[in-house]
Amino acid sequence: MAVDLTVNGVRHSIDVAPETPLLWVIRDQLGLTGTKFSCGIAQCGACTLHIDGRPVRSCSVPVSAAVGKAVTTIEGLSPAGAHPVQLAWIELDVPQCGYCQSGMIMSVVALLNRRPNPTDAEIDAEITNACRCSTYQRIRKAIHLAATRNSAGGRTL
Amino acid sequence: MSDNDLTQPNFSRRDFISTAATVTGALVVGFWMPSRAQAQIANPEGAAWANESAADEVNAWVVVAPDDTVTVRIAQTELGQGVWTSNAMIVSEELQCDWSKVRPQYASANRDAKEMAPKWTLNVMGKGATDPLGGGEPEFGNRDRTGVTGIPDSLYRRMRTNAAASVKDGRYYLQLAGAEARERLLLAAAKTWGVPVEEVSSANSIITHRPTGRTTTYGQVAPLAAQTPHPNPERIRIKPPSEWTLMGTEQRNLDVPLKVSGKTVYGIDVKLPGMKWAAVKSCPVYGGKVKSYDFERIRKEPGIISAIPFPIPDPALIRGRIFGGGVAVIADSWYQAKTAIDKMPIEWDVPPQYAALNTAGIRATLMAALDAPGKVGVNVGDCDSAFRGGAKIVEATYSVPYLPRARMEPGNATVLVTDNRVDIWLGDQSPQETRRSAAQITGIPETNVYVHLCHLGGGYGRNGNGPQAEQAIYIANLNRGTPIHLLWTREEDFVNTTYRSIGVARLRAALDKDGWPIAMEVRTATDENAPGTNAGFDVAARYFAPNYRFSAHSGRFHIPVGTRRGVGAPAQHFYRESFMDELAHAAGKDPYLYRRELISRTNLPYKADMIKALDMAAEMSGWGTPLPQGTARAIALEERGAEAGSHATISAQVHTVSISKQGEVRLMRVDVAHDEGFGLVNPLTVRKQIEGQIVWFYNDAMYQECNVTEGRIVENNFDTFLLSRIKEDAPQINISFFKTGHWLDGMAHDRGTSIQSGIADAVFQITGKRYRDLPLRNHDLTWS
Repeated sequence: MAVDLTVNGVRHSIDVAPETPLLWVIRDQLGLTGTKFSCGIAQCGACTLHIDGRPVRSCSVPVSAAVGKAVTTIEGLSPAGAHPVQLAWIELDVPQCGYCQSGMIMSVVALLNRRPNPTDAEIDAEITNACRCSTYQRIRKAIHLAATRNSAGGRTL
Repeated sequence: MSDNDLTQPNFSRRDFISTAATVTGALVVGFWMPSRAQAQIANPEGAAWANESAADEVNAWVVVAPDDTVTVRIAQTELGQGVWTSNAMIVSEELQCDWSKVRPQYASANRDAKEMAPKWTLNVMGKGATDPLGGGEPEFGNRDRTGVTGIPDSLYRRMRTNAAASVKDGRYYLQLAGAEARERLLLAAAKTWGVPVEEVSSANSIITHRPTGRTTTYGQVAPLAAQTPHPNPERIRIKPPSEWTLMGTEQRNLDVPLKVSGKTVYGIDVKLPGMKWAAVKSCPVYGGKVKSYDFERIRKEPGIISAIPFPIPDPALIRGRIFGGGVAVIADSWYQAKTAIDKMPIEWDVPPQYAALNTAGIRATLMAALDAPGKVGVNVGDCDSAFRGGAKIVEATYSVPYLPRARMEPGNATVLVTDNRVDIWLGDQSPQETRRSAAQITGIPETNVYVHLCHLGGGYGRNGNGPQAEQAIYIANLNRGTPIHLLWTREEDFVNTTYRSIGVARLRAALDKDGWPIAMEVRTATDENAPGTNAGFDVAARYFAPNYRFSAHSGRFHIPVGTRRGVGAPAQHFYRESFMDELAHAAGKDPYLYRRELISRTNLPYKADMIKALDMAAEMSGWGTPLPQGTARAIALEERGAEAGSHATISAQVHTVSISKQGEVRLMRVDVAHDEGFGLVNPLTVRKQIEGQIVWFYNDAMYQECNVTEGRIVENNFDTFLLSRIKEDAPQINISFFKTGHWLDGMAHDRGTSIQSGIADAVFQITGKRYRDLPLRNHDLTWS
């Protein structure tokens, strides 16, 4: 059946079973492969994207749950890959293999949208994505860097 | 020369193009004609595999475009260890090109099957020999045509990515490649100007005729350089570390911008016109195979095309490892295939002797092996009589579990087999071996096999990929003309990987009345096929005892074992450093000074470096200064090659750990003193690797294990196989480097091993409880 989906500001009508996980619709039908599959059980967060600005683990959310809502993926953050979080990630050379980083960045953007200058304790509580290369040292520094830039420039992320 | 330039007379282009047109916005890779291929790629900059270049190459590693963009071909696979950048730096150092215009690209494994290496890359020093031209001491393995155990003489020599050796093994001929290209570019400029080559020099891709000040660029003379052979390549001199200007500087990794924008094309992201997806179930008991399956039950499910049984992948193609046979379901989309195969009844034919095995039985077998005769690696003095004379005997038995790599990207490969050609897209640490597998399975010669390399979503040990390529090639070979993308679930990834072997060790020491060892005996036991079981104990004791005996024992089990990150070192460092802590406590001495004294009593070639590492880490950590109750420090040595005389990597770490009365462990800070040898290529990458490995081995110490029940691995996803999160990362990691007089023996896999003994000893210091088996989450860490 046809499902209407708005992803990165573009409306799509997609022929797919409504219980199909959002992840596979995004990756297969829409070809947006920046969002990754890893565990399939909402544990690791590699598949994190936003529904109406809130981070969700798309491997475990049916596409029907996103109907009528705004879905944002890593590709929709910034056309040039120049979102303040992405720039902080580049400046501190955060990624190693990089496979988890799309989901990690989406989680961090959602956190900074709610808390523009998070404490370490807030980061610990909110950022629950797994990184097997363990780039956590640089992730934490890059979150603070992006937050500093944001408050200095008076921008919203 | 390109991987993309073969036209295929037996292949229906029209089918491909029409299918491609129905896919919107996807990464669709055409490959049968270069011009069409470019049009099919949605984000071509994210694809790292070999492409044809419009410009002529100077040599097989270097292509210079008219605008001075330099393409450097990389024969190792980027999996987060930074080789994409480090190896490009090595070539660029000698080329003296503009680093901001360097673009890495994978070397072609197909071309490697067709061409032999230039003679100047074969003219390498032997193991440990000094380079007479001042470049240091390259270390090369044996020559091996297959590239499995040594380095072949084919074009790109060593294409595998393993053993933390990408810089160590490749540096010499990569420097030569950069230097050869530079000298030919200078020759071309001199020829153009009609001046002696001695009068021209280059920097930043600009060539200058010094007497006149005339300049040209690499890009302008590259076409002529491509036609200008080097008159005497044997005389090419490479720069010793004292002359490096790019190597040794911190350079951000070139793959990062694409990785933060989601554009990097990993193997899982490859999509071809007309491609079908395969979901797989392999027999969960290794060595087992499919007895029956009922495809009729799922035939009418949406998108389902077929089911294909496959045999146990030929062990000869995967270094002897025996996985399971299985069945694949082919469908239009992977989620359809996965959903259907979950519903399909499958009966397995399981060898009964394997189905009877469990963790407790395997460990008991290894414990018994410790008492049976083992392979004696070292036997100095007379341990038996020395033990009779000791003032105090200390004995401890340790154990570690089976551990997989659990990279984040599940195994996958995309394969298209036609009558005369095989194309494979995947992340792969051994493309030369995959090329051979494809030829063996399909009967199509290696020269017609094209391995299109993608970055890997994690590696952590070469053969962790398991038989992803072999399964996919087998299935695609039965579906010739249709590209098949095989993808494992997370659970299937656990079935199809090799494991770090389960292991046990018994260490005994006889101490004199002052607490110093007069005899030490070490017995270890692992799977008989486990690699690296001599690490840390062989040749000579790292901590001196006048009587020293080391023997390796083994059992034989059906769980496939392989080279997980660090290979043998992580387990053996845990045994050794834990035991040193226990001896120091038994002797009533400071664990840092106790280690220092025992190293100083040895004749090891790098003992001064080991002492330096301990001294630096201790000083950095504030060793000996008071800590609050519930907080402790532990120190340990990490070494690779300390017993040898050519290459080594030496480091020491101090871990400051606090434990709440409720038993919650918190790693507070880590102080790292790390050997940089003569020089690091990219110190930024080394820092990142150290930071990551600390957490890697924290996970090993605290959480990770795989148990065996009825012959199968139990923990097979991240709900039971636990990964630490940012909240557990040490708030402070301090890393300092120190120069030594040797080449490094790699550093991307066995640093941070000391956190295992570090946390275990902190637990002992704080709670009074000594636990000798990992992971520590199995134990009560509370105290009052």
